[in-house]
Amino acid sequence: MSDLLLDVQGLETQFRTPDGIVHAVNGVSFGLKEGETLGVVGESGCGKSVTMLSVLRLIASPPGKVVAGKAFYRGQDLLQMSDEEIRHIRGAQMAMIFQDPMTSLNPVMTIGRQLIEPLMLHLGMNKDQANARAAELLEMVGIPHASERLSDYPHQYSGGMRQRVMIAMALSCNPQILIADEPTTALDVTIQAQIIELVKRLRDELGMAIIWITHDLGIVAGLAQRVLVMYGGFIIEESQVIDLYANPSHPYTIGLLGSLPRLDEIERQRLFSIEGMPPVLYNKPTACPFAPRCKWVMDRCWQENPALTEVSPEHRVACWVDVKTGKAR
Amino acid sequence: MTTYIIRRLLLVPFLLMGVTILIFGMLQFLSPVERSALYVRDFPKNEKALDAIIKRYGLDRPMYEQYWRWLVGVVDVATGERSGGILFGDLGYSRTSSQPVIDLILSRFPNTLDLTIWAVAPVILVGIWLGVQAAVHQNGIIDQAARIFSIIGTSFPTFVFGLLMLMIFYANLGWFEPGRLADEYMRVVNSDAFRHYTSLITFDALLNGRFDIFIDALRHMFLPILTLSYISWATFLRVTRSSMLETLRMEYVTTARAKGLPERDVIFKHAQPNAMIPVVTLAGGSVVGLLGGVVITETVYNYPGIGAAAAKAATTLDVVTMLGFALFNGIILIVANLVVDILYATVDPRVRLS
Ligand SMILES: Nc1ncnc2c1ncn2[C@@H]1O[C@H](COP(=O)(O)OP(=O)(O)OP(=O)(O)O)[C@@H](O)[C@H]1O
Ligand SMILES: [Mg+2]
Repeated sequence: MSDLLLDVQGLETQFRTPDGIVHAVNGVSFGLKEGETLGVVGESGCGKSVTMLSVLRLIASPPGKVVAGKAFYRGQDLLQMSDEEIRHIRGAQMAMIFQDPMTSLNPVMTIGRQLIEPLMLHLGMNKDQANARAAELLEMVGIPHASERLSDYPHQYSGGMRQRVMIAMALSCNPQILIADEPTTALDVTIQAQIIELVKRLRDELGMAIIWITHDLGIVAGLAQRVLVMYGGFIIEESQVIDLYANPSHPYTIGLLGSLPRLDEIERQRLFSIEGMPPVLYNKPTACPFAPRCKWVMDRCWQENPALTEVSPEHRVACWVDVKTGKAR
Repeated sequence: MTTYIIRRLLLVPFLLMGVTILIFGMLQFLSPVERSALYVRDFPKNEKALDAIIKRYGLDRPMYEQYWRWLVGVVDVATGERSGGILFGDLGYSRTSSQPVIDLILSRFPNTLDLTIWAVAPVILVGIWLGVQAAVHQNGIIDQAARIFSIIGTSFPTFVFGLLMLMIFYANLGWFEPGRLADEYMRVVNSDAFRHYTSLITFDALLNGRFDIFIDALRHMFLPILTLSYISWATFLRVTRSSMLETLRMEYVTTARAKGLPERDVIFKHAQPNAMIPVVTLAGGSVVGLLGGVVITETVYNYPGIGAAAAKAATTLDVVTMLGFALFNGIILIVANLVVDILYATVDPRVRLS
């Protein structure tokens, strides 16, 4: 057994659609250490959400199916567990929050009832204990007059407050891992910053590991220790956060960093973003999926899809080109 | 919730007034001779008698005066007897059934209510459950059967379906009979030994411990129930299914699963209450259709309810009776809508809290 809290190996997930089989995740492997914060970045549709939902077995089937891979949590493969076993992991050991706080809470159920469910389910509390704890949890995420607001419905909360409720609910059973799927994308900038501060504070207090999915490399820089960059259902670069910013090694990562406005740049270059659209893969690609959009593309890129290889300690990249020299590695 | 209900109740008098004005307006198309049935039993025999009636009940007075008289009736100074006055329950005299319209309604309505309850309750209890199952097990057996049934259900008009059932089960197979009860049971029901707790024969039979009468009543009602409800089965199934399918795709359902809730709770506690919102809307819309269905069904099976009575009044051009039924229908609709609105507020907090 490794020292990893979560160890995902060769994960592949596909969706059956009228247009063909969508290869959403194509052999993703990564690890998560205890207490670590891992950022996952990439454009829309590159498979970030599907990867994490697959690990928790939350992919709707049909149309989706995890066709290969393993996902060890403390040495147990989540993908081989019975439905009953995985239920005791969800919410209790691994919790997840979602992008849109407007739709991720049940509109016809009070906040209180939604909060006490995991407490009663996983911690065996009775209703009174759970209600008292729910009020504490709301207090913890900074909702004023918490105990009076338990009987409110989601539509009586603002977007930012709803995301706070989601966080309170996710952390209610002290999970080892919090998976946050773009939890701030739908919020305006000031609220975004508040939510990120809140999560940082709670991480320091509770010590859980975090997987933070986002489009925004700027958020990752302030939050994560390590980053995965995804493209077309592959991890194409993996690195410590500082190293990724100092030495981005995949053309796609460079593109993403380029599209990030930097305040310290004296001579502002034209904000450059990557031309073209990310692909929807109906076949397992035999070429590098980024080749059509890549400035450094070579013949080999069209013939073989590069595997992740280490370029420096703890920094791995899937690219045939050494972007520093512009030549093949 | 209480404030919502109070606000909603405050609307009711206005709706009632609207209905009465509408019906009164229609009465104005009748000749004074016909309108005299609102106040007296016998047709005026000659010009003189007619003039006397017109004078006496103010049928030549201005509209608003007539409306007022129609509402509260006219009191005979000498005897103190009131004639007419819908507020006092006098809807006029039904010449085709030779009794006051209100008596006709009150004697027929329990039968219709009995039929409607047995037609609607199973749809609500079982139909919705089936719709949920069809969505949860998409393309499973229930789903396929429901789909076929929906197509058949929505493509047959009620009267065609009713006549078809009558032909097969009554004429050819002889399984079920039209009417209300077998004669020997009718005698029991009309005897003093049989207590009328609710006036609904099926329920009274159970309360009197007469299971045989209950079964016989259901046997007579079976085809009417089927005819009246098959469209509802089809539409409720379809709407529940599609609403449930949509709800199951919602993010909060994933949230519920991500909490580790058992699938049973995810479906019945989180998804279904949300999926019920369009179903309640449908229920509100179905009431009107149901009232129309009652007229056709009762006529086809010769079932002694208000629908058959209204149809008879219509075919004999007994307009006063018909408008009496129309008024009664209006009241039922207002009550039904009130119930639906309250239900709506119960399932959706956004309605009652806004
Ligand atoms: N239910 C589904 N049916 C068919 N295809 C799906 C389904 N869910 C996801 N996909 C496909 O899987 C791929 C990856 O989707 P995913 O949601 O993981 O992207 P993402 O990286 O999370 O993007 P975003 O930033 O927009 O959330 C996409 O191409 C998408 O079209
Ligand atoms: Mg996503």
